[in-house]
Amino acid sequence: MRVVHDPDQCANLGMCEGVEPGVFEIGADGMLVVLRPEPPESLRASVEAACASCPTGALRIEG
Amino acid sequence: MTATLNSPRAGRPYDEADLSSLAFWQATAEERERTFAMLRAERPVTWHPRSETAMFDDPNDEGFWAVVRHRDLVEVTKRHDDFVSGQGIVFESLPPELLDAGQSFIAMDRPRHTKIRRLVSSAFTPRQLRRIDDRIRANAKKIVDDLAPRGEADWVTDAALLLPMHNICDMIGIPEADRLRVAERSRYVGGWNDPEVMRGRPILETMFNNMVEGREFTLWLAGQRREDPKDDLMSALVHAEVDGEGLTDHEVAAFFSLLTIAGNDTTRQSLSLTMHALTQFPEQRAWLMEDFEGRIGTAVEEFVRWATPIMTFRRTAAHDTELAGVPITAGDKVIMFYASANWDTEVFDHPERFDLSRTPNPHVSFGGGGIHHCLGIQLARTQITALYREVLHRLPDIEAVGEPVFGVNNFFHTVNHLPVRFTPRP
Repeated sequence: MRVVHDPDQCANLGMCEGVEPGVFEIGADGMLVVLRPEPPESLRASVEAACASCPTGALRIEG
Repeated sequence: MTATLNSPRAGRPYDEADLSSLAFWQATAEERERTFAMLRAERPVTWHPRSETAMFDDPNDEGFWAVVRHRDLVEVTKRHDDFVSGQGIVFESLPPELLDAGQSFIAMDRPRHTKIRRLVSSAFTPRQLRRIDDRIRANAKKIVDDLAPRGEADWVTDAALLLPMHNICDMIGIPEADRLRVAERSRYVGGWNDPEVMRGRPILETMFNNMVEGREFTLWLAGQRREDPKDDLMSALVHAEVDGEGLTDHEVAAFFSLLTIAGNDTTRQSLSLTMHALTQFPEQRAWLMEDFEGRIGTAVEEFVRWATPIMTFRRTAAHDTELAGVPITAGDKVIMFYASANWDTEVFDHPERFDLSRTPNPHVSFGGGGIHHCLGIQLARTQITALYREVLHRLPDIEAVGEPVFGVNNFFHTVNHLPVRFTPRP
């Protein structure tokens, strides 16, 4: 599983971090960082929920 | 007049539906919805004369496209390179000084928008909001403590205005003594047709005075934080650098203005209109109270759909393009009507029902999903939850005892007053 982040659509709201803080984080510079672009399968449900929570459609999962 | 005669918009016929008169904006949301419903069904993208609500008569303002369907609003929002914000985000032409002073990054495009907005975005994340959740709860509790013995109150001025005011002021670092004046100043936004706000004073002069007063206050606070930084947004702003340079006084003042306006007026309207809706639909309130903690998350989304606290945002076409098959010319104003999109039957079953279990609820009250999507989503949700948790449990029979007194405004869905009554609790 790979998280694909589109910075062109991202509004850096951190909704994803609210759902899965182990994978997504708004850094000190205010920009979203995908901490683990290839998260383990055990996190699939929460990573999917985090991507679905994105109001700007900036996140998707491959694989 | 030359500009108008040579304009590509000269002679373009106006649609017969009225979205431009002052009377349209003095009517109720239900009345406006009749026009929106007809346009959504028959003519989803239409050209209209410049609004009568303008602060001054600008002969170069030739009109606007009205975008009323949910799907078109989302498309305009996401096509941020075709439909830009840098030429203004409100309906009317404003004097350039006022435009500059009040909008900051909400009226910028990339790349500047990204750089300015991110100076504060980390303060609004869900993680950061959890850190200040106790403070927000305490502010909500204090408001209900003060209400409880009284038995009756004005829900707007005694509650809905106060909670977002205290929370955004806590975050920015505005002293207690200055908060009511800061909140009062934000009422002028879009409020220059509202007799209660203007109190008979001349529009342009009053708006400029308000701007100057706000700017003086901001620069005073900025000076304090430069010398003695604290853990707040104003301290962060005066010490921030963008491309190696600090923000100018002008940029700090515009930033402050945007944060206080966006932080005060939006949540105020949602908190106000929700009390009225919970009174009108007691069965929905009962359903919520059966499992408040389990249901409030879904309910809050319906509260903000129902309220639609911001009714319009504008974009401007950056080049010749099209929308829903309609050709749009470079420089055309494009106005998105959020109240209409939130009532679009293509997306919402029975939008006229206040349905706290509505799932999914893809309302656009926080925006249509683009780069300008509401930064304060989580702050708004947290505050609405905190106040209704307090008040519905501690004053269980509170209800509106009259109709909301609406302001006159085509930007904010303004409620000036809403009388409420309840059994006093000493």
